[in-house]
Amino acid sequence: MFPFTGLRLLFPAIMPSWRFFDAVSASPRLDYALLPAPEAEAGPWHAFCPRPAVLSLGTMLRRLFWNPQWNETLFLVSLSERLMHGVSPETVAHSQRELLLRVARHLDREGLAYRGDCLQIRLRLVTREVTREVTREENGGEIIYLSAPCSINGLLSA
Amino acid sequence: MMLERALDLTSGMMALAFIQQSLEHLRPAVRPQERLLFAPRLVLSILLLAASLGAQLPGLTPGMLTLALVINHLLILPFFNGPYNGGADRMGLLILLCLTAAFNLPHVGALASGPWRELAFGYLGAQLLLSYFMSGWVKVVNPDWRNGQALRDVFLFSAYPAGENIRRWAENPRLLLAMGWAVMGFELAFPLAFLTRPTLLAGLAIAALFHGANACLFGLNRFFWIWICAYPAILWLQERLLG
Repeated sequence: MFPFTGLRLLFPAIMPSWRFFDAVSASPRLDYALLPAPEAEAGPWHAFCPRPAVLSLGTMLRRLFWNPQWNETLFLVSLSERLMHGVSPETVAHSQRELLLRVARHLDREGLAYRGDCLQIRLRLVTREVTREVTREENGGEIIYLSAPCSINGLLSA
Repeated sequence: MMLERALDLTSGMMALAFIQQSLEHLRPAVRPQERLLFAPRLVLSILLLAASLGAQLPGLTPGMLTLALVINHLLILPFFNGPYNGGADRMGLLILLCLTAAFNLPHVGALASGPWRELAFGYLGAQLLLSYFMSGWVKVVNPDWRNGQALRDVFLFSAYPAGENIRRWAENPRLLLAMGWAVMGFELAFPLAFLTRPTLLAGLAIAALFHGANACLFGLNRFFWIWICAYPAILWLQERLLG
């Protein structure tokens, strides 16, 4: 409730810990699959917003000024981590909802999905060992979260 | 540097950073609710930038504008259930809160600038110094950072490398070991740079290059812009305490 939730979330900014990269732990990857109907089997799975094979110096410099897609990708990583740690049912519900909404909007915008499709997302946990053992990263990692299928139309109108 | 000039410089730079961030949130791809939160932030930031440049805005002081931005953030934070962009947002909020206090606290006491206002702005400078030192400290106490494994892991499997060609830097362990120690050494030595004006200027220049490199390799552009917004605060603090 305004303003108490905002104040609770604002408080850590007053005394930050500044513990950047103190430890590098397993990293979540977000995949999606499109289903023709809710009861259909999911697959094939696709990595959501895969990185470019080559990021040129020009693109890096341009992104210094305008980088909305990558910043949203970083927010999705934060949401995935919050979902993994599950500190509260409210946090889990918020992360699930935002992940589905943002993936659905992106797929619709890029023409990668039909509005009649159903969307399912999953989180894979990638570690040093997985990356070394699996040459194709999109096949490796432990599945730690699998959403229920959701209608893209329903997500877009939410 | 006088307090008022340092405050104007910091608020103008922060306003520019907020304008850039807000525009990213107003692109066509975002949800309508998100735009409703960031359109006011954009307008308030433009007004704050104008005020910091000396424009006379009837009935709108920097103190009121920063206070309005704080209220705006009390709505933005619940929308994302926390910061949207991690540490960059936390630094942005810290700058905003310190400026809000410095602009709005009353002029009391013997000093013309007011001790409470100086304390609020000095806190930002001290936190900037701590941001570098603490980042170095939490790394150097971790054996994985000391032997180079942690930085290899950042490139190998973390979510941050912005391109697959950047991920392949993990194949150069000696380079990454040297880079890791260079970063830790710089961060831990930063408080020493605070002792004199020339070393502080040099330290801040190196720090800006470091943030620039992070922006290029890991796409952390917001960190670059928001961290340099706090530089006037540490420059003012150094002059105030040791000048």
